[in-house]
Amino acid sequence: MAEFLQSIVKRSPWIYRINAGSCNGCDVEMATTALIPRYDVERLGCRYCGSPKHADIVLISGPVTAVVREKVLRVYDEIPNPKVVVAVGICPISGGVFRESYSIASQLDAYIPVDVNVPGCPPRPQAIIDGIAMAIEIWRKKF
Amino acid sequence: MIRFFKVILKNIIQGPSTIKYPFEDSPAPEKLRGKIVHNADACVACHLCEYVCAGGAIKMQESEDHQGIDFVVWHDTCTFCGLCEYYCPTKAIHLTNDYHTAHVQADKYNYVEKTFVKKQPCICCGEPMVPISPAMVEQIYGQEGDIRGLSKMCPQCRRKILWKGGVSKS
Ligand code: SF4
Ligand code: SF4
Ligand code: SF4
Repeated sequence: MAEFLQSIVKRSPWIYRINAGSCNGCDVEMATTALIPRYDVERLGCRYCGSPKHADIVLISGPVTAVVREKVLRVYDEIPNPKVVVAVGICPISGGVFRESYSIASQLDAYIPVDVNVPGCPPRPQAIIDGIAMAIEIWRKKF
Repeated sequence: MIRFFKVILKNIIQGPSTIKYPFEDSPAPEKLRGKIVHNADACVACHLCEYVCAGGAIKMQESEDHQGIDFVVWHDTCTFCGLCEYYCPTKAIHLTNDYHTAHVQADKYNYVEKTFVKKQPCICCGEPMVPISPAMVEQIYGQEGDIRGLSKMCPQCRRKILWKGGVSKS
């Protein structure tokens, strides 16, 4: 039974989104990929969900500010394994324009293992779709 | 009611508005600011792009053998703002409309545009210097070009020649 469930669950990862202090530019682009019929990322078999406990792929935007860091790590821990992390925008990847700011200690991959990077400020919706497609591939291999 | 049917009919004829990307290419507008390319032959190593860069993505460093300058743009901290291209006097740095930026974590620090701006010996004293590119020569001297060969000299020699010969050609 468990094997059967695993074989069907492989086809449809659920996506969760964390805002780690982003300026909202990247979040708007992520919402665009999901909500606007022109991009409709759910064609790829994935789905946005509202709870970290249901998620398989997590998209993180923002430079991980000192205030939000603990909260991001707590939410991240609630996501069941195996999980795939996508860093959206240059903020989580390198700190971007906020690098070396007083409220930012380090970039995302110092705290959480990141699998896919999608640079851009913000990235184009098509680039985010590319990133999600890569993440789905990696997620299937992790099973 | 009639309007309602008109909309339905129009939508049926038009088909779905969803693009097929990534199963099909999605063309980008010509002016979209995407990945950067750098043309080392046109670059005069003026460091302007490095100075104005909003994301701190450009790094220029003298190479170890002092034969040129290593020019690196790290796409993972570039905001694609286009300031570098705007301020570059020779347009050696250019933002293409290539938006395919997603990559796996292993490539994070290799996701760069890397070129080498080669130095040439000064025709007077032999000191290695970055030659002034043809694009820059045209900007400075206009159509007639650099008739006195000043663009192949290092700043010191150029200063000496100009002091001896005077600045004005007329
Ligand atoms: S990468 Fe740019 S658009 Fe995205 S959250 Fe950071 S500053 Fe905002
Ligand atoms: S586009 Fe902007 S951030 Fe990117 S290298 Fe040029 S100046 Fe720097
Ligand atoms: S790319 Fe342009 S602005 Fe940058 S150093 Fe070369 S010539 Fe100067």
